[in-house]
Amino acid sequence: MTGPRAGTRVLIVEDEPIIAMTAEDIIEEMGCIVAGSAATLEQATALAAAGGFDVAMLDINLNGETSLPVAAALHAAGTPFVFTTGYGSAGPGSDFSGVEVVKKPYRAIDLACALGRLAR
Amino acid sequence: MNRDMREPGWFASGGGDMGERIRGHDWAATPLGPPERWPHALHLSLGICLNSSFPIAIYWGPGLHLLYNDGWSPIPGKRHPHALGQPAHLVWPDIWPIVGPQFADVIASGRGYSTADQHLPMTRSGRLEESYWDYSFTPITGDDGRVAGILNQGHEVTDRVFERQRHALLLPLADRLRAIDDADAIAAAAVDALGAHLGCARAGYAEMDLAAGTYTVTHNWRRDADVAELRGTHALGAFGVDLHDALSTGAVFAVDDALEDRRVAGRPVAERYRAAGIRAGLVVPVLKGGQYAAAIFVHDDAPRCWTNHHETLLSSVAERIWEERGRARSARSLRESEGRYRLIFEQANDIIFTADLTQTITAANPAAGAALGVPPDALTGRSIAEFVAPDDLARTSGMLRRKLAAGGTTRYEVPVIGKDGASMRWDINSSLAIDDAGQPTGLHAIARDVTERHAHEESQRRLINELNHRVKNMLALVQALAMQSFKGDRPVEESQAGFQARLAALASAHDLLTREKWEGATLQEIVGAAVLPLAPERDRVAIGGPAVALAPKLAVSLVMAFHELATNAIRYGALAGEAGAVDVHWDRLPGGRLAIGWHERGGPPVAPPARRGFGLRMVERVLAKDLAAKVAIDFPATGFSCLIEAPLPAPAAGIAA
Repeated sequence: MTGPRAGTRVLIVEDEPIIAMTAEDIIEEMGCIVAGSAATLEQATALAAAGGFDVAMLDINLNGETSLPVAAALHAAGTPFVFTTGYGSAGPGSDFSGVEVVKKPYRAIDLACALGRLAR
Repeated sequence: MNRDMREPGWFASGGGDMGERIRGHDWAATPLGPPERWPHALHLSLGICLNSSFPIAIYWGPGLHLLYNDGWSPIPGKRHPHALGQPAHLVWPDIWPIVGPQFADVIASGRGYSTADQHLPMTRSGRLEESYWDYSFTPITGDDGRVAGILNQGHEVTDRVFERQRHALLLPLADRLRAIDDADAIAAAAVDALGAHLGCARAGYAEMDLAAGTYTVTHNWRRDADVAELRGTHALGAFGVDLHDALSTGAVFAVDDALEDRRVAGRPVAERYRAAGIRAGLVVPVLKGGQYAAAIFVHDDAPRCWTNHHETLLSSVAERIWEERGRARSARSLRESEGRYRLIFEQANDIIFTADLTQTITAANPAAGAALGVPPDALTGRSIAEFVAPDDLARTSGMLRRKLAAGGTTRYEVPVIGKDGASMRWDINSSLAIDDAGQPTGLHAIARDVTERHAHEESQRRLINELNHRVKNMLALVQALAMQSFKGDRPVEESQAGFQARLAALASAHDLLTREKWEGATLQEIVGAAVLPLAPERDRVAIGGPAVALAPKLAVSLVMAFHELATNAIRYGALAGEAGAVDVHWDRLPGGRLAIGWHERGGPPVAPPARRGFGLRMVERVLAKDLAAKVAIDFPATGFSCLIEAPLPAPAAGIAA
C-alpha cells in the first residue's frame, strides 16, 4: 500500500456533496482523518487559513469559481496538496505545474497514491 | 519671233492637235469667213490661244463662234471636236441660261468678267453632271473699237469644290457625333446632315446581319413627310440581288434613273423602287475585315447624276458613323461593365478596398466603411496603419513586401480596430495592382470579417471543454453513487436496486431539465420527478406549494435529495406499509425565505436509526450546501419528518416563479 500514513489529516475541497461524501469515506477507509470538508471557495479559504491538516485535495472548479487562491495559500504555507478535476487537458496553470492532478472520476487507489506521494 | 504676225495663215504650223484642226476647218462656210480675211485681233488672240498650255477658247463675232486650244478641248466633253467653229449657244445649250447673260454683259460693257466656283450643270458623257468652274471672259476689241470676240480662260474645279463641301459637312458633323453616346442617335444625326446637305429625298444608314440575312435601318432622313419611311429590318435582297451582290463585294451601287437603269427597269424590283419613290439612288457599302458590315444610302425622287464625289462623301460619312457607333458601343459596354462592377463593389458583404504601395487607401466600399465606422469616401487617403495595431501592421507590410518580391496573392488574418474601437478579425485576400508596363502600383484586397466566426470557434471550444468537464463530473457522481450504494453488508440485489434507482433519479432530473431546455425547473416538477416514480399509489403522496423556480444544478441536487427521502419512506417509512402517506409542502416565508416540509404519517412506528445512512447524510449535505438551508430531521413515532428552511433561491431565467 502506497497510501498516506494512518492518521494523516486531510482537507477536502469539493463542491459536489455526493462526491465529497464519497471522498470522505475513502479517506476514512484508508485510515486517515477528514480534517475538514469545504464546498465553496469561501469555506475552503477559511479552512485553509485555520490549518489543522497535513495535506489537501482541491477541486479546481468550485461551482464556477477557481480554487487557485486556496492553492496559493497552501503553497505559501508549505502544505502539500493535489488538485482534483473533471477538466481534461486544461490544467490549473503554470504556477502549479508541479502539483499532481487527480482526474475525476478517480478510483480510491488513485487518490490514496496521490496523497501518499504528498505525505511522504 | 521671226514669223510675220500680220501674214494671213501665220499659224500654218504648231498649235498641236487643235492647230491642225483649225487649219483644216472649212472656215469659209462659217460666218467668220476664210482666215485670210480674219481681223488682226483674232489672229493675235488665236496665236496666244494655240501657244498657251492653259485652257483657252475664243468666242468670235456676233455669233460667238468657238475656237479653242488643246488644253481646252476636254472641257466640252463629247462635244469636242464638233464644237469647233460652232456658235456658243449651240455648243452650250445646257449652261446657256448661266453663261449666255455673262457673254452679253461682257459684250455690252466691254469689261472682263471672271468667276470662281461657278456651278455649271453640264451634260458630259451623256449625263447631266454637276460641275464647278473658275473662268474668265476677256473682251477682244476689234478694229472698230467694239468688242469683236471674247477670250475665255478657265479650268474645272469640281474636285476642289466637292472636297470643300465634303469637309464643310464632315468636320462639324464629326464634332457633333463625338458628343452623342447613343449608337442609333449617331447614325440618325449623320444621315440627317447628309440628306440636308445633298438636298435629296431620303438618306439612311443600315447595318447588316449577314447570318440572319437582314439589314436594319434604325432611322432615315426624309425631305418631307411625303417621302416613304424605309425604317425597319429588311431582307438583304429586298432591293434586288444586283444591289446586294455589288455591295457585298465592296462596290458602290448607283442608279441615276431607275426608269432607265437596266438593273432596275423592267425587273420585279422596279416596283419596289416605285413604291419607295426612288428614281435615283446611291448606296455605298462599309466593309470591315472583308465583311459587308454596313451601308449608307441616298435616294431621290428625280433622276440624278451620281459622281465619284458623292461616293466619296457617302463613304466618308459611313466610315464616320461606323467609327462613332463603335466608340459609343464600347463606351456603353464599358459603362455597363463599370456599373456592374460598381454594384458588386457597393453591395458586397465582403470588405473591398484598394491601396497604393505606401498602404494608403485609394478606394473602399460601403462594407469597409461600415466595418470601420467611417464613410467609405472618407477612408480614401487614410493609412491602413490607422486600423491595424503596430505589431500586426508589421505583418501586413511583410505580406506586401512578399507580393512585391514574388508576386501572386496573399491570404492572412489580421486583427483590425473596427467601429468604435471594436476589435475585429479580418481574413484578407490581396493581390498587387499592376500597370500596363507591368509595374506594381498598389494592391486590391478583399477581406471578410471573421470576428464572429472566431468568437463562434472559441465558444465551440469552450463548450466542448465544458461538456468534457460535465461528463467527467457526471461519471464521478455516478462512481460516488455506486460506491455509496454497494457499501456495507446489504445483500447485493438490494444494493443493485438502490444503485439503479439512484441512476434513474439522476436520469429523470436530466430529462426534466432537457424538457425545460436546461434553463431550470420548478420545485413542483423537481419533487414530482424524484418522488412519484417510487410511490406505490399516486394518492399516497401529496405535493404542493407556490411556484418556485430553481437553477439547473440545484434542480439535479434536489431531485437526488428527494429521491433519497422517498427511498427511505418506502424502505422504512410511511410508504413501507399499506396505508401511510407522504405530504410534501412548501411556502414562501416573510423575508424572502422558503420553507419545505416533508411529513410522513400512517406508516409503521418510527424510531431514530442508530447511524444515519447515506440517504439522510446526503439530504443534509446537499440541502445545506446547495440551498444554504437549515435542515431539521425528526423521527417522532407518528412518522418521519424533514423541515427545510432556506433563502428563496434567485429565480432561474426562463422559468415563471
